[in-house]
Amino acid sequence: MPILEISDLITRHDVATGTPLPVRRVEVLDTLAAAGDHRAVRIVAALAHRDGVLDPAAVDRLLVRTHTELQRLNEELRIAEQLADLLVPLLGAVGSTGQRPRVVDLGCGIGYVIRWLASRQALGEVDLYGVDVNPAPVAQATMLAAAEKLPCQFVCGDAFTLTGPATVYTSTGVLHHLRGADLGAFFQAQDHAGAQAYCHFDIAATALAPLGAWMFHRARMREPLGRHDGVASARRAHDDHTLMLAAGTAPGLTPLLYRPVQHSNPCCASMRPLLGIRTRHLPALRTALGRDARHLVTRTRAGRRPW
Amino acid sequence: MVSTAATVPAALAGIALLDGVLAGFRAATGRNGRIRKHAYYRTAMRRGLSASVAVLALLALACGIVIATAPDPGTGYANLTRTGTVMLWTLGPYAGVVVASLLGYAVLPRRPATFLILLGLGPLTLLRPWVAGAAGLTAAWTAPNLPTAGCAVLATIGVLTVEPWVHQRWYTAPT
Repeated sequence: MPILEISDLITRHDVATGTPLPVRRVEVLDTLAAAGDHRAVRIVAALAHRDGVLDPAAVDRLLVRTHTELQRLNEELRIAEQLADLLVPLLGAVGSTGQRPRVVDLGCGIGYVIRWLASRQALGEVDLYGVDVNPAPVAQATMLAAAEKLPCQFVCGDAFTLTGPATVYTSTGVLHHLRGADLGAFFQAQDHAGAQAYCHFDIAATALAPLGAWMFHRARMREPLGRHDGVASARRAHDDHTLMLAAGTAPGLTPLLYRPVQHSNPCCASMRPLLGIRTRHLPALRTALGRDARHLVTRTRAGRRPW
Repeated sequence: MVSTAATVPAALAGIALLDGVLAGFRAATGRNGRIRKHAYYRTAMRRGLSASVAVLALLALACGIVIATAPDPGTGYANLTRTGTVMLWTLGPYAGVVVASLLGYAVLPRRPATFLILLGLGPLTLLRPWVAGAAGLTAAWTAPNLPTAGCAVLATIGVLTVEPWVHQRWYTAPT
């Protein structure tokens, strides 16, 4: 049976315009019931609705609350700091393209990573963008960035139609939402958009990950939706080999795992990055990483989840 | 040499106050999306500490009544100290591990700090109500009389009330 996340089912938007589309409650309940996820059924059954359609304002508020709780997890695990440690050598390796570098965070939610990078000015002179298809988190990200006068922007819609190509695409916790052909298409789109590199963090697929996710989401999050989806994410996280195969379908960008699960203590690798870079920049990336370049892995094998 | 009559209540009060500060912090987490929020967390921890002081004051009043109404106030105090010692046997090691984990998280490099979170701070947060409950129940069970047992139960309930109260009072909605 498929493992589903509630947040994937309770919102639907026109990607081009950001206009919310009605989500019929019974359809969501049926989908979750068919997947045998009765806890998720109870969570969705408790959501506000009108005439059989989930109340979009209530769903938006719920998503913002859940993203805010998720930010707290990312803060504790220092995800933005980890991303910055890789973006600096990535941007250094791709060098000057004649334009001001642009980092675009895909599926940015309330924009924690981009706002953190902006607040620390961790990457120097760089344009920072966050993109999400859901307008509510984007509005919250924009409001939070304005409140702290942070030099970054947030856009609702399709990241690949932004004016001008991104130098580097990033994401945090997005990859496991993409299933089947969508995963390969995600990497191909970055290649076609002219990106010089990407850096995507996602949950490390280990046997211990669901237990760790349960414990951590239970300890740190209050929203039942967040707790549910956190565990579902860990259960359906892509293994290293699946990610490398999908990323390999974008021929212009060489995929690399950094500190993959087999090379790490699983308790230190709750989230691990997948990098991609134009092949011509690969030697420069190894130089920029210095001793840490030994943690780059270019080949993986299919196998069971470690640990 | 310092007597247990002074160290036991002091140690328990110290643990309760530290727990109040951390409860205030937890009550406020996940409710503010800003990047710079030191002042926000300082306020939350102060609120947790204040709530904890209020709990301790209430408990001190209850203990004072128990001592004052005991046939022999000296024995009443000794009973409370013994019951407090039983609580400390459970709470002390837990508090020690929490403080060590927090110090480790603050000073260690990122990877070992992450290790500490996943193996230490996360599980310890989940265990907290169970540890407090076990300490309170054990102390109440072994207490020599009902009023003393009541103080142990009151202390446990009071400590566990701080976080939900601070959260409900100030941090139910995102800011």
